[in-house]
Amino acid sequence: MATRKEIRVDIGKCTGCRHCETACSLKHSEEGMVNPKLSRIRVFTDFEREMAHPIISGPYTDAKCTSRYNIIMDGKEYESCLLCRASCPTRPFFTEPDTEIPLKCDLCGEPPDPNCVKVCVHGALQLVEVEEDDAESA
Amino acid sequence: MNGWMGKILRVDLEEKKHEIEDLDEDIARDYLGGRGLATKYLYDEIDPEIDAFDPDNKMIVATGCLTGTGAIAACRTVFAAKSPLGTVGCSNVGASFGSDLKYAGFDMIIFEGKAEEPIYIMIEDDKIQYLPAADLWGKDCYETDDILRERLGDPWKAKEYSIACIGPAGEKGSNIAAIIIDKHNAAARCGIGAVMGSKNIKALMVKGTKGIKLADPEGFVTAMTDVLEHVKQSHGSMESFPQYGSAGILHIYNEVGMLATNNYQTGVFEHAADIGGEAMASKHLRKIRACFSCPQSCGGIMKATDEKFMVTSERPEFETVWVFGADCGNNNTSAILKAHDLCNQYGMDIISVGNTIAMCMEMFEKGYLTEKEVGFPLKFGDPDAMVKLVELTCKREGFGDEVANGGFALSHKFNHPELFVGVKKLEAPAYDPRVCQGQGLNQATAARGACHNKGYTMGSEIFGLPSLGGKTDPYATEGKAQLTKSLQDATCVFDNTGTCLFLILGLWAPELHKQLVPATGIDYTFEEMMKCGERTWTIERMFNIKAGLTSKDDNLSPRMLNEPMPEGPSKGHVNRLQEMLPEYYTLRGWDEEGKPTDEKLSELGMEW
Ligand code: SF4
Ligand code: SF4
Repeated sequence: MATRKEIRVDIGKCTGCRHCETACSLKHSEEGMVNPKLSRIRVFTDFEREMAHPIISGPYTDAKCTSRYNIIMDGKEYESCLLCRASCPTRPFFTEPDTEIPLKCDLCGEPPDPNCVKVCVHGALQLVEVEEDDAESA
Repeated sequence: MNGWMGKILRVDLEEKKHEIEDLDEDIARDYLGGRGLATKYLYDEIDPEIDAFDPDNKMIVATGCLTGTGAIAACRTVFAAKSPLGTVGCSNVGASFGSDLKYAGFDMIIFEGKAEEPIYIMIEDDKIQYLPAADLWGKDCYETDDILRERLGDPWKAKEYSIACIGPAGEKGSNIAAIIIDKHNAAARCGIGAVMGSKNIKALMVKGTKGIKLADPEGFVTAMTDVLEHVKQSHGSMESFPQYGSAGILHIYNEVGMLATNNYQTGVFEHAADIGGEAMASKHLRKIRACFSCPQSCGGIMKATDEKFMVTSERPEFETVWVFGADCGNNNTSAILKAHDLCNQYGMDIISVGNTIAMCMEMFEKGYLTEKEVGFPLKFGDPDAMVKLVELTCKREGFGDEVANGGFALSHKFNHPELFVGVKKLEAPAYDPRVCQGQGLNQATAARGACHNKGYTMGSEIFGLPSLGGKTDPYATEGKAQLTKSLQDATCVFDNTGTCLFLILGLWAPELHKQLVPATGIDYTFEEMMKCGERTWTIERMFNIKAGLTSKDDNLSPRMLNEPMPEGPSKGHVNRLQEMLPEYYTLRGWDEEGKPTDEKLSELGMEW
């Protein structure tokens, strides 16, 4: 069966250091710039709720979701959008601040060589090989 | 410029306006950034004799040339000003404030004058807003942080700002007030929070969307990942630190008998094992947290277990565990967490608060302070009394109003200056210099006063790190002048590049050099980089001399020099500062009065 590589995120191990954000932005910058705002991975932290949650950007969607829901975490209510990986018109994350061009993780090329994983020393991000399911490979 | 942003934000607080000016490239090259850069600008722009609270004093916020680049643990920011203690005040903090300041486009902010009424300043790239803070004045650091973030609405948006604020301690001009970043990190030492308060600045918020340009991105990534590998191989950095925090090494200091206990009356604490990093972690640790781009992750979230001291707090650092533990004779870890949290909440320097309270405990036990004066019995090992006095100090209520002036002032007011342990009016840290002779020399000569973080000689005297020249005998004075000087200079390089000094167990100056060159594109040789450190040490010295300090201030408390360690493995030792100091002056190129000679200054390309 065909396999592919993907990133496995273990949020329990994330320290919120955001080193991944610097590494990702530098990798994708033609001018050699470090800028977390241009990273394809962003880390949301709420340490009072013991949470550090890396989110890797997915595809751009041109319309906002029509159905939304809220998540209660340790007593605090968050919109579901908080942990969503899409860039969409209602959320400015995963778009370039100046041009509003959507940012999408490309696993740092083919074969995947993710820069974020390289600097994540605590194993919150790991590159793993998974079996491709039939629907995907078809 | 590469690495640096090349811009300074100069704020006129009185007029609530600012100018953006170019960073002087020669100064940047000579001082790298951070502590050196801030001190050089202070030296050039203010009269060192000025009173700390005079509006003509300036407060400088500076980042290192590697801060925010993703270089290993390059997250530091310094807050510098003439300090209320009379010295060049420079306080260093992690989190991500400095990185965000760089992303906003600035290496440094210079605050001039004083705002007419309380304000907070919001920096979003080039957009700078001066907003009224009358409603925030009086609020503690936690409330302030919460309110400012709530105003931003969306939680993601709110997360994009770093917030530096002061609490009531800074507003009320406490000599031991800190600046708190994002609730859990502190630029604590030298009363820098009081300087911010005197300028009527309640908070600084910063968010940036710009990038930091690196000269050789590929070379940088190779160097940075190499250094990361190196850190990963270090047991201290990657096994102990994330799990046990910086307090993971506390027991080692107890074993050699230099864990200052009961206001430095002894160097052994019988309950050391109950309060060390391992014990704290097993009882209280909920989550490991790191500063920006740091693998060591010594931060974390801890929950108290004793219902008298219920609190969820940041993981306390080594000094915190020591000062509210051994130094106050306390083995209740929940009380340590509570005292720690109160200091963060109200914006206080933990070392100074704890050290002063420990001194008061000794004064109380000796009858120099009475129950009438304090309001309650204040004995070593009483967690309730300790936490109560911390709270009073934070609020400047009752006897806490005296403690908030710091240990030096209090010891004089109550006529027992001999019980104050500190240098240049700054309360001393955990490391008893009767054991590590080099540490005594370091604390005696550091510009801001008793500070272990200006030259961590224990790296050699206790740990024998090969990177620091291997093991030296702690009790020996021979060779310590050289050891201390080189460590002090290298530490300046850490502070100037914006790298966290805690990386000392895992990396050292050569690893900084490796990252510095591709980041900045400047072909520094290793020696040139180290000269930037020496220059920093020298400019701090020049500032202090102009501020009126003399070689007499290069001294230790009488207890360290005259009272032999009473028990334990280091029994009988005192610090023999005078065996090292003259040699140290010579190595530094200073005359007998501790003044840099003309030859030294011209070698470093400096002048008075
Ligand atoms: S590098 Fe790893 S630990 Fe650090 S924020 Fe990113 S995912 Fe979390
Ligand atoms: S895999 Fe590459 S593109 Fe995707 S988040 Fe990580 S560093 Fe960015």
